[in-house]
Amino acid sequence: TTDHDFKEHLDVSLLKDIARNSLVQALNSVNGAKTLVLDPSLAGPLSLVAEISLLQQHGVDKMFWLEAGPLTAVTTNVVYLCRPQIRMVKVIADQIKRHARESKTHTYTLLLVPRTSTLISRVLEEEGVLGDITISTYNLQFIPIADDVISLEHENAFKEIWVDGNEASVYDSAQALHTLQKLYGRFPRIVGKGDAAGRLATLLTRQTTQSSAGSDNAQALSEKFDSLIVIDRRTDMITPLLTQLTYEGLIDEVIGIRNSHVEVPASLLAAPSNPSAPPSDPSTSTPPASSLLKEKKKKQHLSSSSDPIFGELRDLNFASVGKRLNKVARRLDEDYKARHKAQSVAQLRDFVGKLGSLQTEHQSLRLHTGLSEIIVPYTRSSVFNKSLEIQQNLLSSYDVPGQISAIEDLLAQGADMQLVIRLLCLASITAGGIRAKTLENIKREFLQTYGYDLLPLLLSLAAPPLAILLPNPLPPSTAPEVAAFKYPYPTLRKSLRLVIDGTETLDELENDISYVYSGYAPISIRLVQCVAQKGGVLSNPASGKTRSASDDAAGRGKSQASVKVQAHPIVGWKGFEDVVGSISGKTVDIAQNGLGSADTVSASATSHPPQQGQATTTVVFFLGGCTYTEIAALRWAGRQNQGRKFLVATTGVVSGASIIESIAGVGRGAAASKGP
Amino acid sequence: LALEEASRMQDPTAKITSVKAAHKFFSEDKDRAFEAKMMDEHSRLLAFQQQLEKETDDKISFFGQSVNETITTCLLNGMSKRADKLKSDFKVPDKRFWYIKLHALTKTRDFEGLDAF
Repeated sequence: TTDHDFKEHLDVSLLKDIARNSLVQALNSVNGAKTLVLDPSLAGPLSLVAEISLLQQHGVDKMFWLEAGPLTAVTTNVVYLCRPQIRMVKVIADQIKRHARESKTHTYTLLLVPRTSTLISRVLEEEGVLGDITISTYNLQFIPIADDVISLEHENAFKEIWVDGNEASVYDSAQALHTLQKLYGRFPRIVGKGDAAGRLATLLTRQTTQSSAGSDNAQALSEKFDSLIVIDRRTDMITPLLTQLTYEGLIDEVIGIRNSHVEVPASLLAAPSNPSAPPSDPSTSTPPASSLLKEKKKKQHLSSSSDPIFGELRDLNFASVGKRLNKVARRLDEDYKARHKAQSVAQLRDFVGKLGSLQTEHQSLRLHTGLSEIIVPYTRSSVFNKSLEIQQNLLSSYDVPGQISAIEDLLAQGADMQLVIRLLCLASITAGGIRAKTLENIKREFLQTYGYDLLPLLLSLAAPPLAILLPNPLPPSTAPEVAAFKYPYPTLRKSLRLVIDGTETLDELENDISYVYSGYAPISIRLVQCVAQKGGVLSNPASGKTRSASDDAAGRGKSQASVKVQAHPIVGWKGFEDVVGSISGKTVDIAQNGLGSADTVSASATSHPPQQGQATTTVVFFLGGCTYTEIAALRWAGRQNQGRKFLVATTGVVSGASIIESIAGVGRGAAASKGP
Repeated sequence: LALEEASRMQDPTAKITSVKAAHKFFSEDKDRAFEAKMMDEHSRLLAFQQQLEKETDDKISFFGQSVNETITTCLLNGMSKRADKLKSDFKVPDKRFWYIKLHALTKTRDFEGLDAF
């Protein structure tokens, strides 16, 4: 049913075209040759949208990173492309003033991504250069990073929303989702969890109402979408804190994936057996950004469309990757051997025709074997295994004090800063806080080990609205909202069947989404299942015995003779109101009707059920980012039902490491942004 | 926050001043006793590092390192007395101290020292 499944996917490449075209438009709005000055944080996302040659076709003469210091531009036109950050704008103002002093004349254009803000023009005004610059926007929204994943590629969204209290990315998300509605029709229903998710839903419905009131193209309800599920990262902080165990997730943990690109030693990409690799081959040619970043390491674009082997591996638990690689290697070997069997000229020609694709596959096999070789020693290290053990024990709330002293041990050994703090936060969330005295001790140790500069990190982790590193009991002076944030983990573990224990082997676990974390089901995905796959929450839908029982329990889903259960219609949180209510934060459930007004759902209003054989798509939007492993889990969940596909939308792909590092302000981003 | 400012400061004296300012801010709030204590330690560490740099005639740079790193640097440069003093001044628990020492000794390939361990 592979090709059948394929058809059910919504074509999201449209979004890429939009992003491309609007970039071209923005560039063309400035006539003649121009110097492009680029915000380094945008380079990655842009490389997913356009190539250098496209920029050159549209008059870009030279490109520079936007960074402090003088700028030498040969062309009259200077185009700045950056996110609306005050720091960036100050640099721009400084460069303009410098040019003025040197009496060079340039025409300046500032393209803000994704939109302009009054704050920016205020800053420019204060700097006294507002009159010298034309402000415009480049509205970069969702970028498809896989067939079923679209992302805003905004890495700092999490930090901005929950640490800085900057809601701009909530607004930007609403805008982007609105664009999605313009393309594919209105979401019949919006379900969500979390305070920020609530604000997003409100913004989105307001926008929908306004746009249909303002223009005559009142949109109809979408035929393609059955609902939008918004999961606010704050509602599930546990999942990103865990170590990801899928292949793609581990690559992200160990090496780091930025904007779908991974940096690997160049030797892995070179093909010594075939030095003149066909330049037309898209999968091996490195993306344009890498030529700009003069790094020894090469960047490789990971995408399943150009690399089928990666598509096969990405969502597998790392434990089974070796096996699969071996299988692929054998098959390739067989294919190569086929040459000897070729008898006639026709057969030979046939083989030569296949050779190209064989070589590509061979190359990607090399890459993935190499990547696995990098990862394996890491997964065998004692620190890694110790931390996994701590995670598993904490998840099953087993001997919490023991785990905390184990964390102390890791700290004493000088383990990675982000690893230690992730485990600490995990302990705090699952156990409802750490004993005040112990916590203070660990915090002291932590600062002594990694530097006092990290005190702000500890403060932000403890402060609302994040509050994921707390003492227990809370000091009496704590703000009441902190107490309200307390996470009911032990209850959730039972009601959402988060931890699958027992003696099941990995192969059996493959039947549940907990497979991706070797026995733990991500809360975020369970929440999605609460809306879109109720049976899956209560029991394992793939284990035949219990299937019909779970269907009865959920009261939906027609039991079928076929293997796959027909997806039930979206009825909001029904059946799980108590569970969902126990998690702090707003619960959202809004039905949008075709005429443009949005009302809170009355109990009777349900979306039309998906017709037999007809597929609908449920968009799952992660506000604040999601992990590769969560994507893998959703893909898994999507395969369990017939008639419903998930489209993952997110502000960016994150990992525990990237979240902690962005809060600490020492991200990989800072290191990578050094350019020519 | 004065704290963030402090982390960016390169100049030693200015850095100590702003850490002290942060200390003052935190001590004004009685719920922030822990943070205040930490900032106090931080400024003591910075002062100690300055002193260390003076002792070594600015040949070895200490300033801005964490407690662990400072101890390591001391050990690597044969200043184990100083390392011990740091240990007692900052109440570094034995376990962590031994790990640091172990790493440092391995780094300098001081196998006799390792043996005596």
